[in-house]
Amino acid sequence: MTLRRLISALLAVPACTMLAAMPVQAAELDPVRVQLDWLPTGDKAFFYAGVAEGIYRDAGLDVTLAPGRGSPDAVTQVAAGNADIGAAGINALMEAYAEGGAPVKAVMSIYSKPPEAVFTYEGSGVTDLASTLGKRMAYSMTSAPWPGVLRQAGLDPDEVNMVNVSPASLAPMLAQGQVEMNLNWVTKQPDAEALMEAAGRKLKVLPLSEHGLEGYAYSLMASQRMIDSRPEVLARFITATREAIEFSIAHPDQAAAGLAKVVPESDPAILEGQLRASFPLIDNEISQTEGLGVFEPQRLATAWRWVAESDGYAIDAIDPAALIDSRFLDTAAQ
Amino acid sequence: MSALKRIATRYASLIAFIFVVLAWELGCDLFQVPAFVLPAPSAILTAFTTLSPSRWFEHTWATLEVALLGFAIATAIAVPLAITITRSKLVSRVVMPWLIVIQSTPIVAIAPIIVVTLGAGVLPRVVITTLISFFPIVISTATGLASVPAEFTELSRSLRASRNREYWQIRMPYALPHLFSALRVAITLAIVGAVVAEFVAAERGLGYLILYSTSSFRIAVAFAALVILVASSLVLYGLITQLQRRLFPWSEHRG
Repeated sequence: MTLRRLISALLAVPACTMLAAMPVQAAELDPVRVQLDWLPTGDKAFFYAGVAEGIYRDAGLDVTLAPGRGSPDAVTQVAAGNADIGAAGINALMEAYAEGGAPVKAVMSIYSKPPEAVFTYEGSGVTDLASTLGKRMAYSMTSAPWPGVLRQAGLDPDEVNMVNVSPASLAPMLAQGQVEMNLNWVTKQPDAEALMEAAGRKLKVLPLSEHGLEGYAYSLMASQRMIDSRPEVLARFITATREAIEFSIAHPDQAAAGLAKVVPESDPAILEGQLRASFPLIDNEISQTEGLGVFEPQRLATAWRWVAESDGYAIDAIDPAALIDSRFLDTAAQ
Repeated sequence: MSALKRIATRYASLIAFIFVVLAWELGCDLFQVPAFVLPAPSAILTAFTTLSPSRWFEHTWATLEVALLGFAIATAIAVPLAITITRSKLVSRVVMPWLIVIQSTPIVAIAPIIVVTLGAGVLPRVVITTLISFFPIVISTATGLASVPAEFTELSRSLRASRNREYWQIRMPYALPHLFSALRVAITLAIVGAVVAEFVAAERGLGYLILYSTSSFRIAVAFAALVILVASSLVLYGLITQLQRRLFPWSEHRG
């Protein structure tokens, strides 16, 4: 009897916890599961602002945000049907298409400039592309598009000593002087800056967008199932996300504070810094001319050319236009 | 002098622990070790205050829930499987290679596939934990069941005891020390399994907190989470030892 009670208790506790963890969904709100590409850092704050400020709720949406473990992970989760929407680098979607396709389409661009940058420190000797030759560069998982950037500048990528490390080791290795530079995203600048300062070094950032790199990066993607079965919900989500981005640009402190409430282990000042660091990628001369969210065919082809060049795909392996479904963006703009 | 020696012997592990922590603190201070490389124990202690107790509990429970569920399922599968393997040579021949295949597969490598297949939520994490922790229980229990001296089983058969009676009254008591040793190993593996799973997909848990803190260079918080993980492992390990001591005190000195 005691054993039976023990087993019932063991089974009941997790069951209760799972029930308690389930979000209460109001009947009138449409549920939307969003898979982010990474942990809830400041550069994802606009999604959390959308939830915290009630922007999604006012659009009739019950949005659930799931932190991810990289862009390929986010694309896979959407393709596998575990999420309706994904927020990830468009290069991951291009790679998925080049490897055989995925039932996922990019529906809105968020970054119209690539976020990749070289992080170095004052006194490292790195001041431009040519001065990186003969130096050590740490990167995580993939060194793309770095070799292509060097080749375009007429430099030999083999002359840079590349070291593959975990994402968490990138900045500490730079702070320790074990490498002279690392390949990072400009959105990581605030935390890297704080770390370098603690190590008595001054961080210097060379955005690759200022050294010839062009194309779209962070984008919203939707599963084919979402596009086919709930196009109207998708259009509302895109409109609301655009509103959340605009709100975050206007009120970065509020957006960061909203995220800090969800992630108490974060530092609100760093979150705000990360969010602000993403603004030049979102709100720039490209988005101002072409419109926020638009995929301009020529720029899209350029983004694919960089991926093809970095990963060794034939340039005609995919038609980049086939990845895009911009109908919902048009609806949202209207 | 002998009293001092007795005290020193009795508290040897505690003294050694205090010595290591002090050396760590002094070393960090003396060599100016940056906090992002190795935070000093005092910094780790302070890091506990950066999160509210309820948030710490939330993370700790998220990990323990997965670890305990995975451990319970692993035990529930492994013990009957060990009995079946020892009872039937055919089953043993069919199942054993698969068990070895599962054990030889680096679960860390297939964890992302498990998460994609089973979706978000607690299920993939529990499956990963179960896969990591069940193998030692099967092998140790099967070894214990098979290590009964032949004269015991022969005596049992000569008295026409049924196979079930032979298992429950001779083989299982004989296997208990092996089983409890395996449970102690498995509970620590279950904690490791839960952390591995949280590294792949989770929004809460100590493994997730470590990943989040290290990615934002708050290494002291990550170390604080590690302290809780180690303490949880030790407590659960101790609980299993106590369980064995209470329920089967006679089995303690044979394993």
